[in-house]
Amino acid sequence: MNRSFLQIRGIRKEYGPVTAVQDVTLDVAQGEFLTFLGPSGSGKSTTLYILAGFENPTRGDILLNGETLLATPSHKRNIGMVFQRYTLFPHLSVGENIAFPLKVRRLPKVEIDAKVSAMLKLVRLEGFEDRKPAQMSGGQQQRVALARALAYDPPVLLMDEPLSALDKKLREEIQHEIRRIHQQTEVTILYVTHDQEEALRLSDRIAVFSKGVIDQIGTGPELYANPATRFVAEFIGDSDFLPCDVVSTVNGRAEIAVCDSMTVSNIPLHGTASSGSKAALMLRPERLLLSKTKSDIGLPVTVSDITFLGNNVHVATKTRKGNVLSVRLPFGHEAISGLNRGDAVWLRFDAGSAHVFGQ
Amino acid sequence: MVSQTETGSGRPYSPAQVRRLTDFDLTLPALGLLILFFVLPVAMLLTRSVTEPVPGLGNYAELLGSSTYLRIFANTFIVSGLVTLVSLLIGFPVAWALAIMPNRAASIVFAILLLSMWTNLLARTYAWMVLLQRTGVINKMLLGMGLIDTPLPLVNNLTGVTIGMTYIMLPFIILPLYGVIRKIDPAILQAAALCGANRWQSLVRVLLPLAMPGMAAGALMVFVMSLGYFVTPALLGGTSNMMLAELIAQFVQSLVNWGMGGAAALVLLVVTLALYAVQLRFFGTNRMGGR
Repeated sequence: MNRSFLQIRGIRKEYGPVTAVQDVTLDVAQGEFLTFLGPSGSGKSTTLYILAGFENPTRGDILLNGETLLATPSHKRNIGMVFQRYTLFPHLSVGENIAFPLKVRRLPKVEIDAKVSAMLKLVRLEGFEDRKPAQMSGGQQQRVALARALAYDPPVLLMDEPLSALDKKLREEIQHEIRRIHQQTEVTILYVTHDQEEALRLSDRIAVFSKGVIDQIGTGPELYANPATRFVAEFIGDSDFLPCDVVSTVNGRAEIAVCDSMTVSNIPLHGTASSGSKAALMLRPERLLLSKTKSDIGLPVTVSDITFLGNNVHVATKTRKGNVLSVRLPFGHEAISGLNRGDAVWLRFDAGSAHVFGQ
Repeated sequence: MVSQTETGSGRPYSPAQVRRLTDFDLTLPALGLLILFFVLPVAMLLTRSVTEPVPGLGNYAELLGSSTYLRIFANTFIVSGLVTLVSLLIGFPVAWALAIMPNRAASIVFAILLLSMWTNLLARTYAWMVLLQRTGVINKMLLGMGLIDTPLPLVNNLTGVTIGMTYIMLPFIILPLYGVIRKIDPAILQAAALCGANRWQSLVRVLLPLAMPGMAAGALMVFVMSLGYFVTPALLGGTSNMMLAELIAQFVQSLVNWGMGGAAALVLLVVTLALYAVQLRFFGTNRMGGR
């Protein structure tokens, strides 16, 4: 894939003493669906607003097809955007909203009409062109906003948490719509969200933002299987962390001791750690094996709670040192039958599913 | 004000409560006061317009048939229209600036606006006379700067009336407009920009239509208030551009012609009520300054 379609080069944004974005560098391929994932205040929206031209970066550059975007004002960038809040023009009908960007471009009326009906068809709202935005649901309004943003065939579409005001069921429905529309139009999409599930469902690649920095960029499976930082591990998928002692390190892998009772070797190590130092062991609830029979290679824990979650059962356990570890097992798994609060059980995991994060 | 659906629990009001909410026994004293001191005198004045000097519509025929009086009517509308227009042109940018200003700066501007509203009307009008007269501050400054050779006629004419009245009417445009503009989500204007609209297109196609309810409410209020204005036109205007309120005062005070005065007052009242009805029809009282 040609990754030099949209290039973000060392973008930095300072508001007085506060640095909102620190040297973000990123290449986006044409037609890619890239998501900026991170908590609020991580710099993901600021980066998007710089792309839109609402903010100017303190430093850095943005190149589209090799040419800088920063010299172009927002209204000439030809970029599409769907906002978090509803931004349809309330005094215009749905059809007039979609026609708006075409009218300000002074396209002939025939062309505008054809494009408006094509866009309504794309977002599956045929027959709604005479409605006013206030007469439509939140989900419908965002679909119209999407149609308006795509009406002028922008090379890049920005989406700033467009579904955060919608309820869960509607959100999933529109996520499918967005996927379909992305596949159909092949437009390059930069999508901002704080919802990891949404990011995983929609994106080709995800850039995880933390404190103004991109911690890691990769596909969902890459981020899940091989998180570069503790923050990424916490943000993508569920995880628990146990304090551990590093026994030795070789080639980016570590041997560690947990809870004085167990040593495991050959675990991928991230960050810096040397033998004798403290580190954090990350375990995924769905990758832990639970056994009711005592074993020397298992970690002894006590069951503190059992929660039924439909297809899954969630078992909360406590280590002897009081750290909490969660185990997720499919409903009906033989290890859970007859399990009670307070029972002593043993947990095992394979080195490939765990990660050690140094200081 | 309170409807059954607003009780929260969804429980309807008991008949006794409904009675308490719809009866107006308690408003009777105020109502009596209004009738005695407001409705009655107005009615008496209006009655005199069809009884003095002789019963009939003679006063109205004279008022609407004479070119002198018709010119005064026209002048009243011209001045009111001009004041409304200038107030809108100045008020819109001010309201917009207020809406996007940091709160502290906005509260200072509001304080200035309200302070001017609370200052005595006569004092403010005389202040404009001082500023605008031939030897006034403005003319002296322009002369001193060499921009003009002879003093500009700024007072005792249409210019003076328009300046003085616009200044007085500005808050009545700015406050409702501010209320409306405040409610416009800045993201809507950002969306317009990304759609390709330049500043001018955003203003004309998005901002102005969205601010229209506030502009219409403010404009109607200013126009209606201007129609009946007396003090400022009397002091800053000239004899050639008399307004209706001045005419009424002249009829009553100088000519002691209560019949003609009453007739002119009724014409003014009818026009004002008609415009007020237009405002109610399109915007409603409770939506003044809002949408």
